[in-house]
Amino acid sequence: MSVSSAERYSRQVLFPGIGAEGQKRLQAARVVIVGCGATGSTLVSLLGRAGVGTLRIIDRDYVEPSNLQRQGLFDESDAAESLPKAAAAARKIATFNSELAVEPCVADLTPENVEDLLEGFPLIMDGTDNFETRFLINDYAVKNGVPWIYAAAISSCGVTMNILPGETACLACMFPESPHGTVDTCETSGILNSAVNGIASVAATEALKFLVGAKVQLRRTLLTRDLWFNDFAELDASTPREDCRCCGEKEFPHLAGEGRPHISLCGRNSVQIHERERPINFVEIQSRLEPHGIVRFNELILKFWHEPYEITLFPDGRAIIKGTTDVGVARSLYARFIGC
Amino acid sequence: MHINVKLFATFRVGRFSEQKREYPPGTRVSGVIEDLQIPESQVGILMLRNRHISSDQELTDGADLSIFPFVGGG
Repeated sequence: MSVSSAERYSRQVLFPGIGAEGQKRLQAARVVIVGCGATGSTLVSLLGRAGVGTLRIIDRDYVEPSNLQRQGLFDESDAAESLPKAAAAARKIATFNSELAVEPCVADLTPENVEDLLEGFPLIMDGTDNFETRFLINDYAVKNGVPWIYAAAISSCGVTMNILPGETACLACMFPESPHGTVDTCETSGILNSAVNGIASVAATEALKFLVGAKVQLRRTLLTRDLWFNDFAELDASTPREDCRCCGEKEFPHLAGEGRPHISLCGRNSVQIHERERPINFVEIQSRLEPHGIVRFNELILKFWHEPYEITLFPDGRAIIKGTTDVGVARSLYARFIGC
Repeated sequence: MHINVKLFATFRVGRFSEQKREYPPGTRVSGVIEDLQIPESQVGILMLRNRHISSDQELTDGADLSIFPFVGGG
């Protein structure tokens, strides 16, 4: 069914904050969403349905059954196929708004590719699940003067903040140090689907304000909202901190890759090998792996089950090894089966 | 001495939003964090009246301390 733009966006255009001119701006806009889990799914869905003309979706993971409780873009067939989230998201967008230009990128945002993947996008949305990537986005955004919107959630609590470089506080102004040691995650503390979708909805609304030019309406606080305990609070984030290493001293250690682990824990029981320059020929490696276990692949990922481990391999050499949190074991498996 | 402690986000669960609490003179921020049984690795922001401080900062009577966690899930 063909849907005219006038009909599709009629209710949104009626809203005075958007109007016909704002709708034109949305349709000409380009937004990159980094991470397509629960926050990312909601951001993609809302911005896509609102008619943001170009969406680049960057995500490194694949759809799993445990995602379906809160990640609204995906369904059981995506999980059954273990589709990369970026690809599944692009497929889903096409079912509700085929007018958009969607650029799925199955990739891990790293210091090496951040310039290539984020360049040319005047707004960056945070759909990630870790501070390592957020500090990388923050370094890139402040260095290049690109606004971005932080959004995150845990349990029943969501947090979001607009970062307008040079005008408001940046992430490093508010969080001077990266996390050291353990931090609660959705895997360890659980997550209420309405909490994460709710805070992503707030962030998506801020994005719409930015894109239509309603700058005066943009929030300049670090907002927290707990849906279960009916709690709401804000911290002032209206000005950059003078001694911020990023805004003030123009130091961008995350862009330089300083302190970035080459291997990291990933989810509840997995280790990720951040290899990026080891092109893998899936057909060739299938024959090498088959004597050791079950192998399945498509053009985007290869999965290899070698009890008690499950290895997911990407074309650039990146691997997620499920079944261990021991970095040494993971490195050994990678060396044995993929080579390094 | 009295310290006015403000907690944010997940730190409020099972504790409080804002409370005046009594501490001995010389107490540092880390002492308040320990008293509240907050894992220090989860503390993302420490502020005294909108000014960032470190956990070894010594507090003075009437201080207004804000403690905000790392919230990273998505």
